[in-house]
Amino acid sequence: MSTRLSPNHARLVEAPADLDEFHRYVAERKWGDGLPVIPPTQDRVERMLRHTTREPDDLVAVIAPGFGAATPRRIAINAVMAGCAPELMPVLIAAVEAVAAPEFNLQGIQATTNPVATWIIVNGPIVERLGLNAAFNCLGQGNSGNASLGRALRLVLQNVGSARPGEMDRATQGQPGKYTFCCAENENESPWDPLHVERGIARERGAITVVGAAGTLNMNTHAKDSDDLLRVIADTLEHPTSNDYWIGGEPWIVLSPEHAHILARDGLSKSEVKKRLWERSKMRAGRMAAKDLARTQTGRTAELGPIDENTLLPVSPTPDLIGLVIAGAPGTHSVYVPSFGDTRSVTREVA
Amino acid sequence: MQIAKRRKASLTICSTAFETLGRTQAKALGHPELPLAIIAHPFGIRTRNEVRAMAERCVEDIVRLATKKT
Repeated sequence: MSTRLSPNHARLVEAPADLDEFHRYVAERKWGDGLPVIPPTQDRVERMLRHTTREPDDLVAVIAPGFGAATPRRIAINAVMAGCAPELMPVLIAAVEAVAAPEFNLQGIQATTNPVATWIIVNGPIVERLGLNAAFNCLGQGNSGNASLGRALRLVLQNVGSARPGEMDRATQGQPGKYTFCCAENENESPWDPLHVERGIARERGAITVVGAAGTLNMNTHAKDSDDLLRVIADTLEHPTSNDYWIGGEPWIVLSPEHAHILARDGLSKSEVKKRLWERSKMRAGRMAAKDLARTQTGRTAELGPIDENTLLPVSPTPDLIGLVIAGAPGTHSVYVPSFGDTRSVTREVA
Repeated sequence: MQIAKRRKASLTICSTAFETLGRTQAKALGHPELPLAIIAHPFGIRTRNEVRAMAERCVEDIVRLATKKT
């Protein structure tokens, strides 16, 4: 059953028609992300709303830390501002629903001092239909769908959730991914089932997964066999200042198609890759600063038993919590995406 | 916050760096009058003894805030 809110949850205001003045108007009210936004006129918002079957003032989710009500109308306003094509509206609604799931820990992600961005991964036939990018530079600039979806989610988190920098968003530095962070999985180049199928959604359905991502690190290796490749990836995961190790998190690896094919050629399934990475990336607790080791002892003793300097800490409580997604184009680059730690990714079907 | 909503004595202790977050969130949750005890930020660079000394300086104020009649 849905909750319907009063339409005045989104207000009609008179704003300057001149674009330069409009940009200043938005900046003064802290409605944007620093870059110019598209004016969310009634016409544009209405066009966006035509791409959802939900009523404009139904409650989609409550967005921490300000606990604002995300309705299709409010989501549409932010989607217009971000430059989304109206066809992207159902994808964005699914992403807003996903970030509000308790296990995602949006309160923590939005208000932390850590540099956490919400990464959207898109799967299924909608990737091709919507023209999203899963290949060349898929985590970089250049594709309107990728760029505007990630940006729109950021604007919803900021404007509906009230997480504005220096106010409720307490990030010490933040990270570039907080402007936008969205890609599709390159299912055509993957030797394994795609992410949404791994999570129980039918292959022919569209889905999104949201991840509390603490950055990206290039892993450039010309390793030619699976053992060598997994060894260097596991070595990269290990670092003593990682939230994943002291909390027991959910690290992600974006495997390039070339790296994925090396692993599959040697007969490894996705779950076997996760298991081997988990075993090989265990880190000696003594590598941490003394204070961080003490925090780990507080945080992970229930999971691991007594922890001392010689304890080998796994990066996540179980191997299946290592996220694997295949994305990118030809090249010897995979990407390590450390997580916020105290978060679990959430997958939702796109209606 | 949940305790405050049940009209039980409650307060939140936070450091100066999180005062804005604390006040805004209390307001967003419909409890703007929630008492906040604000401690100087940061803790991370202080020794255990320094943190203990800070706690001793604050404890009476915290008790007063927690037991204040509203």
